[in-house]
Amino acid sequence: MKLKSASIILLLAWSLAPLLWQLYTSFSTDQALVTPFETMANRWTLEHYRSVISANPPFFLYLINSLFVGILATLLTLIIALPAAYSLSKLSTTKSNLIRIILVGCALFPYVLLFLALLEIARALSLGNNLFALALPYTALSQPLAILLLGSAFTSIPPELDDAARVEGLTLINRFRWIYIPLLAPAIASTAILVFLFSWNEYPIALTWISETSKLTLPVAMARIAGSSIHSVPYGAYAAATVLGAIPLILLVIVFQKPIVSGLTSGAVKG
Amino acid sequence: MFRWRKKLSVGLTIGLSLVLSLVLIPTLTAQEIEPVTILMPAPFADSTRDLVKDFNQKYEKSIHLDVIRGPLETEAISDLAISSLLLGDTPFDALLMDITWLPKYARAGWLEALDNGFDESDINDLTNGAQLGNNYQGVLYRWPLVADIGLLFWRTDLMEKPPSTPDELVAVSRNLQNNKKVPWGYVWQGRQYEGLSCVYLEMIDGFGGNWFNPDRGTFGLDQKPGVNAAQWLTDLIQEGISPEAVTNYAESETLQSFKSGDSAFMRNWPYAWAELQKEDSRVRGKVGISTMVAAPGASPASTVGSWGFSLLKGSKHKEAVIEAFKFLTSKESQLKMFEEYGYTPTLKSIYEDPIMLEKYPYIIELYKALKVGRMRPETPVYAQLSDVLQRNLSESLTQELTAKISMKNATSTSEQIMLAAGGLMK
Amino acid sequence: MTVVYLLIPAFLLLASVFGLPLLRYAWLSFHADSVLTGLQPIANDGANWLRLMHDQRYWQDLIQTLRFAFASVGFELLLGLAIALLLHQPMRKRGLIRSAALIPWALPTTVMALGWRWIFNTPYGPIDQFTSLSGISLNILGNPSFAWIALVYADVWKTTPFVALILLAGLQSIPNDLYEACTLEGASSFTCFRKITLPLLKPYLGLAMTFRLAQAFGVFDLVQVMTGGGPASSTESLALYAYWNALRFLDFGYSATIMIASFVLLSTIVAFGWWLMILLNQRGSMAVTE
Repeated sequence: MKLKSASIILLLAWSLAPLLWQLYTSFSTDQALVTPFETMANRWTLEHYRSVISANPPFFLYLINSLFVGILATLLTLIIALPAAYSLSKLSTTKSNLIRIILVGCALFPYVLLFLALLEIARALSLGNNLFALALPYTALSQPLAILLLGSAFTSIPPELDDAARVEGLTLINRFRWIYIPLLAPAIASTAILVFLFSWNEYPIALTWISETSKLTLPVAMARIAGSSIHSVPYGAYAAATVLGAIPLILLVIVFQKPIVSGLTSGAVKG
Repeated sequence: MFRWRKKLSVGLTIGLSLVLSLVLIPTLTAQEIEPVTILMPAPFADSTRDLVKDFNQKYEKSIHLDVIRGPLETEAISDLAISSLLLGDTPFDALLMDITWLPKYARAGWLEALDNGFDESDINDLTNGAQLGNNYQGVLYRWPLVADIGLLFWRTDLMEKPPSTPDELVAVSRNLQNNKKVPWGYVWQGRQYEGLSCVYLEMIDGFGGNWFNPDRGTFGLDQKPGVNAAQWLTDLIQEGISPEAVTNYAESETLQSFKSGDSAFMRNWPYAWAELQKEDSRVRGKVGISTMVAAPGASPASTVGSWGFSLLKGSKHKEAVIEAFKFLTSKESQLKMFEEYGYTPTLKSIYEDPIMLEKYPYIIELYKALKVGRMRPETPVYAQLSDVLQRNLSESLTQELTAKISMKNATSTSEQIMLAAGGLMK
Repeated sequence: MTVVYLLIPAFLLLASVFGLPLLRYAWLSFHADSVLTGLQPIANDGANWLRLMHDQRYWQDLIQTLRFAFASVGFELLLGLAIALLLHQPMRKRGLIRSAALIPWALPTTVMALGWRWIFNTPYGPIDQFTSLSGISLNILGNPSFAWIALVYADVWKTTPFVALILLAGLQSIPNDLYEACTLEGASSFTCFRKITLPLLKPYLGLAMTFRLAQAFGVFDLVQVMTGGGPASSTESLALYAYWNALRFLDFGYSATIMIASFVLLSTIVAFGWWLMILLNQRGSMAVTE
């Protein structure tokens, strides 16, 4: 029993210590950061937060941009992946297995290698510096995972239910509206959260598709903050930015822990 | 009932006219005022803020200048500029460029020639160092804002005069370290990045060599001076003159160390002077500057690192942009940038002004350094060449390979790059 | 009635982000397309491939990428297994503890990459402060022997929760009566773990491994922000090298060559790992049925 509580404490320390260190750094004056063990009068400060929040453009804009792209990509992904997953569940075993293998192959692809071609596409179609457009590659890249997760959820619907609905004369759209979507709500929620997290955190494509400061998403903005301070040791400001950037996700994880866990685990069980 | 309707129609009229005026006013004024946007690295964006304000006041009726505040690090801002240019949708008309980018940008066809904006007499007004690196294949593409130059900073409270040879620098450092005056002798930029190439250029020239000879297309890295330069830098770390951590130092870490009194010497750019005179500096008033050390018989060399304005091809406001360049690089602006931020002026007349010399005696040292300014190789593939040098030199500094072997590798890889490029350069 | 057409939009999207780029890279890899050609492609008879063969830096980056991937995935599997076993136990506040363990995985890589740069900073970061108490400065990010370990540490910190959750799913799929039978026979809990848990967990370990290896081969964000590939290129990954070639050197032909070559090499390795796993699984399931 003691061993268990000790390991839990160890686990929490391992996961949270780096974040707590960032929190501590974000409230420390620059002076305190370079002379850590000295006691001093001006040990603590809110200056870093003030500078991050009052920067131009304000830090919150990046959060809003990320939120926007994340939500748009999630919706688009679901709109396209749900019918595809339904269709996958209706195919013969050989066909659907073939498709599954292709999807797994795509899901395993180190997608960062795609950035150059995607950059060329963005240039050819003038998709650069456009948050709506940025959601497109995210939607495409999320398809394999979303179809696989939703596809295995569709197979769990009893065929009798489906047949009964057809006998009632419900069209495909109505069946989605009244049967599949309500029944699959948990799987949809899990998929949505995973896709949202992917889009929120995506870096290489956002880095090459967006160059205007006011349209940056959070990960790129963070990386850019790294190089934009003129302080000699700007880590206080970085730390404040990491804390502000982490808060929304920490809240998200706490609120949606269950669907995230079930999404990842059901992907593992059925995938 | 009737009254209610009347109110509604009055409200509607007011609302409509408001909307109309909001739509119309900007379109009407836009015809008169040309918007101009320039991308600058963060420090320049901050230091030109007042000048930009003055400019916008002066040209209130015709031009509005906006500055995009980019990242601080040279590589980061280059990445940003290039990704905008590659996207084909640049949100700026011009950019403040580092001296090493010019051949690449010009070759890629992204720049507009500035020959119409500046003539021969304008060029003659510039100091030697500032005249370098503005042309590609004989065409003027860049106009310098500041004449950056590599300098040796030394502590006036620890020695009478700065050392002039590498051996002297080591001897003075060791003496001071042994007497516990300072923990470290010399701090410089040893991280694997562009700053390291600048440090090395000064040393290879200072040992009497040459990184790249454009006339013959040969590299001097594995010649004696090249190997000596790499060896000397490696030994500084090996013998404890420089801290081991310099292999991860860029300008800001170097400055931080010197500013807190941890070192007797520092290699840095002129901006550091102003930083060192600030209140939180522990070496305030105890700093001198000098040109970089050079071996006996060789002339000292300073890496030219100036920043200058270039106009992008797609800009729709070419004349207005050149107007802005002229304003920001005028003598008055140069003086302001110098007095407030310590940026090195580009104009000869400022260095020869007796009042300036009396007020800021140290600019004579800047002028000296500018006269021995050296260019890094001027080619569109400079980024690769510099990368090869940094990478191999880094291997020597971190003791992965000997200086000799690392410089040999650097030379052969550089030759391959030039060979591959050669076929395409015709 | 056939509903295959519902798959079309999804596959069009997939074709445009996976199919098109790969075809384009294959084509570009036989062309010079760089700043020197004015950013126009000119056929160059496989010169890019020849250059790649002799490009020491590419092969060193490949080794570094593999080293990073195997080291981090290895640690992630070990640590992930330990965490999964722990989280599988009944405990109070399990939801909250799981959330806390998940946080590292959910944060954007770049956000914490900055944080790690500070934590490993010499001389002001906590690690260096701590080691310098005993008079040693490791200069972690400035030393080629240590910098990649710092990267592995940061990656293990971030992705272990993901591995742990997949393994947790595996643990939950093992019926409890198997354990009961095992303990009834008087076997120690370690023996039960070895005889029952591990064999049944193998497919999950394999899945986590394949997935993570594939991701780790493409490591980019972490390296770019945390070390920029230095010192002495000791942390440069293949993806970063391809990125430098495109955006810094403006050499798209060569960048495309690097990417398609890396893709082929890495997918061969992943496929091999997958095949090995299937082989092991067959043996494993045989052992259980025996």
